[in-house]
Amino acid sequence: MSVCRRRGRHLEFLQTPDFPVNHEASREETRSGDNSTSRLFQPGISPAGMGDKIWLPFPVLLLAALPPVLLPGAAGFTPSLDSDFTFTLPAGQKECFYQPMPLKASLEIEYQVLDGAGLDIDFHLASPEGKTLVFEQRKSDGVHTVETEVGDYMFCFDNTFSTISEKVIFFELILDNMGEQAQEQEDWKKYITGTDMLDMKLEDILESINSIKSRLSKSGHIQTLLRAFEARDRNIQESNFDRVNFWSMVNLVVMVVVSAIQVYMLKSLFEDKRKSRT
Amino acid sequence: MAGVGAGPLRAMGRQALLLLALCATGAWGLYFHIGETEKRCFIEEIPDETMVIGNYRTQMWDKQKEVFLPSTPGLGMHVEVKDPDGKVVLSRQYGSEGRFTFTSHTPGDHQICLHSNSTRMALFAGGKLRVHLDIQVGEHANNYPEIAAKDKLTELQLRARQLLDQVEQIQKEQDYQRYREERFRLTSESTNQRVLWWSIAQTVILILTGIWQMRHLKSFFEAKKLV
Repeated sequence: MSVCRRRGRHLEFLQTPDFPVNHEASREETRSGDNSTSRLFQPGISPAGMGDKIWLPFPVLLLAALPPVLLPGAAGFTPSLDSDFTFTLPAGQKECFYQPMPLKASLEIEYQVLDGAGLDIDFHLASPEGKTLVFEQRKSDGVHTVETEVGDYMFCFDNTFSTISEKVIFFELILDNMGEQAQEQEDWKKYITGTDMLDMKLEDILESINSIKSRLSKSGHIQTLLRAFEARDRNIQESNFDRVNFWSMVNLVVMVVVSAIQVYMLKSLFEDKRKSRT
Repeated sequence: MAGVGAGPLRAMGRQALLLLALCATGAWGLYFHIGETEKRCFIEEIPDETMVIGNYRTQMWDKQKEVFLPSTPGLGMHVEVKDPDGKVVLSRQYGSEGRFTFTSHTPGDHQICLHSNSTRMALFAGGKLRVHLDIQVGEHANNYPEIAAKDKLTELQLRARQLLDQVEQIQKEQDYQRYREERFRLTSESTNQRVLWWSIAQTVILILTGIWQMRHLKSFFEAKKLV
């Protein structure tokens, strides 16, 4: 199973995807976790790239039964694979987040500074052993992908270099190849009513539905990205607006005050001279 | 033959064990550490009429065993959600593990703040609380198994429904972006106008002030019979 790079992630790399050929669709499915569909109709056959998925049904069902036993109260909390957060980082502080990862998954983190003087932040990504994988200073945005080992990856945003301005930071985590968890989340088969006919046409429809879903997800992600860019530009503009207003007022006041002071100082010079004469 | 049969089985066993291990530690989901009086806020920029569901789970640091306990009964988190106008939409206390939901009625930046409600200092002697957080917006918040059961949908219908929800969310987001872009354009144009008018006004004021100064000083010197 290859690591799938989501090509449409960054605006510079936008490309129109071709209509899905069978193996390409299954690759997209692998990423969004919809393998279960095609497997239902091809129990014994393993298409290219999905050979190691045949043995999954048993452990999936087994594990579907287990979590409610292992984690009382945690049933129902299955976090999504992609998440984005926007938060405010006060001046002089550092905040760290942790993401647990399984083996051979792919972790992509993308961050942007949306607001705050200078629009820059220090970024630090460390592996579960504590080794620094990425260390960037005073950058306003960045994207990094790592192939993961088992453990908790830590990434930190550091605003200690700034004493007065707080930053608004947006970051997005994209997790690929997380394995069985993805299967479980999309395994709606247990919950549906009615039966579908095992027809070749139906299978085609389901495949194109899957590819539509993954493309819509991609659109959604690009929208999120555009929204972050726009938010940043808007914040820049609004701070320009405030700055223009403020400094114009200051300029006006200073001009008037300085001209008045000049005149009265000159006058006072001459008045003293006259007094000393008499 | 034995190799072919045993290989996948062994791999399956290993993967199952790994997954069991991950289940036991609840280890998939972003988490962060929070101090006792600390408040962590997250901003979600969302269009209107969008549902947001947040899930969190807390773990406390056990100083003696130097490990995080699996769950902390008796410890609660206070969740506060403010809408773009600053009005509080949701302000509630939840247990050590909770799920909060709200629907936005105005588009814009909603602020979701979390802080622990612990008053017993002893609990927090170690000073660290681990919070696992997950926030789902829009169609990601829908629980499709529930919808399938409620409306008795076949799989095809369910998937079509999911696609429709996804498209609807994208469309809402686009409308919201258009509205934001318009406001952005207004702000930019207003800034441009102000810069232009201020430059003209500044030049006029300078000239007027110069004229006033010269006239005032000239009449002053004439009065003092210096000129």
